[in-house]
Amino acid sequence: MAINIPELRQKFKNPGVPELDLIARYASLPEDERRGRMFDAFAKTGLPGRRNEGWRWSDVETAAARLDGAEAPAVTPALLQPDDATVFNLSPAGLEAPDRLPDGLLVHRLQAAPALAGSENIPMAALAGSLCQYKDDAASIVFEVTASLPAPVYINWRGHDGDTNFSRIAIIVRQGAKLDLVESYCGGASLASTLVELKLEDEADVRRSLFHAGDAREIMTATGLVELAAKARFSQTILSLGSLLSRFETRLNHTGSGSHAVLNAAYLCAAQRHCDITSVVRHGAPSCVTRQMTKGAVLAGGRGVFQGKFLVPRTIGQFTDADMQHQALLLENGAEVFAKPELEIYADDVECAHGNTSGALDEEQLFYMRQRGIPLPQARALLTEAFVSEALSAASPDVGEAMQTTARAFLAEMHG
Amino acid sequence: MLELHDLIASVGDDDPKTILNGLSLNVPSGEVHAIMGPNGAGKSTLSYVLTGRHGYNVLSGQALLDGEDLFDMDPEARAAAGLFLSFQYPVEIPGVPVMTFVRTAMNAQRAVRGEPEISAPDFIKQARLVANELKLTPDMLKRPLNVGFSGGEKKRLEIFQMRMLEPRFAILDETDSGLDIDALRTVAEGVNALRDPKRGMLVITHYQRLLDYIKPDKVHVLSAGRIIASGGPELALRLEKEGYDGIVGEAA
Repeated sequence: MAINIPELRQKFKNPGVPELDLIARYASLPEDERRGRMFDAFAKTGLPGRRNEGWRWSDVETAAARLDGAEAPAVTPALLQPDDATVFNLSPAGLEAPDRLPDGLLVHRLQAAPALAGSENIPMAALAGSLCQYKDDAASIVFEVTASLPAPVYINWRGHDGDTNFSRIAIIVRQGAKLDLVESYCGGASLASTLVELKLEDEADVRRSLFHAGDAREIMTATGLVELAAKARFSQTILSLGSLLSRFETRLNHTGSGSHAVLNAAYLCAAQRHCDITSVVRHGAPSCVTRQMTKGAVLAGGRGVFQGKFLVPRTIGQFTDADMQHQALLLENGAEVFAKPELEIYADDVECAHGNTSGALDEEQLFYMRQRGIPLPQARALLTEAFVSEALSAASPDVGEAMQTTARAFLAEMHG
Repeated sequence: MLELHDLIASVGDDDPKTILNGLSLNVPSGEVHAIMGPNGAGKSTLSYVLTGRHGYNVLSGQALLDGEDLFDMDPEARAAAGLFLSFQYPVEIPGVPVMTFVRTAMNAQRAVRGEPEISAPDFIKQARLVANELKLTPDMLKRPLNVGFSGGEKKRLEIFQMRMLEPRFAILDETDSGLDIDALRTVAEGVNALRDPKRGMLVITHYQRLLDYIKPDKVHVLSAGRIIASGGPELALRLEKEGYDGIVGEAA
């Protein structure tokens, strides 16, 4: 039975032109029941915007309408790759993998889309899941790490036809295995949504680093769904320079006791750039630890968004130890930062803290530096770099350095 | 040579208060002058006016460093021209290690003066030498500037920076405050090591004690924003004995 476009339209409330394009796109794909359920989940919200919980400050709907008919954005450079990295390029055309995979890494191409639990609450992830269809016939790709990998795995997410880019992958890290994962979001599509499902089995250890420096014609949302089994360790570092609208959303669930998560992010927004760092961490098992540090610096005409939530259920969330910090620098008049830290705690024996500050660079520090001969633009760049670098310190040394270099170049340019 | 002619300056942008009231002073190269004065006389204001801190506004008068008008320059340009201030309250710069900070400052000044950058090995060699004389450990130079340093360590770091940057003119603003007697001696030795026929220094202090270690060529008394008495080192001793009231009263 063919997919009926008028029927699909009925599922949306007043679909706009970008949504009509997405409906047509969906209708062109092979029919798949699970894909259909994801698209239905997306249809309930449509492209999320001001009216939707969690999207008030990141209005995809309006941004997409603005981009309609605009020229396709450029493909942007990936984060510097060390020679020993195993590099994958992922685009709508499919996966470009190295000829030989290292021992302990398997790649599976799935013909059918896997189901996506809770898809109603994550409309952009549901969209990625429902429209992901690689040209090589895979509907999803699974990376399976069965043993600790000696070198980092780099994934470059790239738009292909300048129009849209929807990708979904899953990464399963087996018991006790270690993975150093680096992802560069390289633009090239007006509207991109990616979904990464990461599953860490007992005592697995994953260090994940994400980077995005997009074009002013690009909407990019990257959703990570992370599950940590007992004593798993997960450390994530994001560096975002934003795009017209850029959002990294991480939903992490501690499902086994004694797991440990670090969620760090730094965002640097110039004019016409929007960086959104959103996360929901559920302490669904006792004695789990979360450390979260987000630092941002924003110039006039730029917008930074931080939304963080810790959810600690009764009983199973006992002995949670969680800390969330967000600190932003408003470098100029006309810079915008929106922050919403939330703690939702139902267990009674927990340690949870959060802090949220935003302000300007310290005039006293700037004067001191200038008195020593450091020109004002350089003093501002140096202070800003020092401020955000704390949030990059948990990345692996190579990646951390590459991120620092990128941040430094950006700051030198934006102050220069 | 630092020449100050009839300086009138106010503090504050919204509700300005005139603090310097016709201050004139010459400090020739090769000399160390001390400025002493009671609280509120304008000692720190003078150091901020000369270095160009925001909120310190020059209403009239002139300040020349080797003939160059300081008030035409940004703070960083004044530093590159050779003006250094040892702060009364050194500022913490989190995330920027001492070595990185000083090297950045040094190369920025050199760039303005059209000199080549200092090489990393030369810089490290010089830093080790100076640090050793000031009893600063190599570990301290790797830490973020002034973060977690004691009062005495911060003052020693000011002198470290001064030694590294080798300014043509240095202002030391109450460098003795918060120092114990050993630290005072170390700091004074650091300052004395910089005495040079081509360099002038202005030492601002409350107490005569520092002047036992840094022997000034001249002492000036600052009160209500102007120099009311000048003399040799004996003036400092007289101040210590008679207090500011005596001298201030005499001048009035």
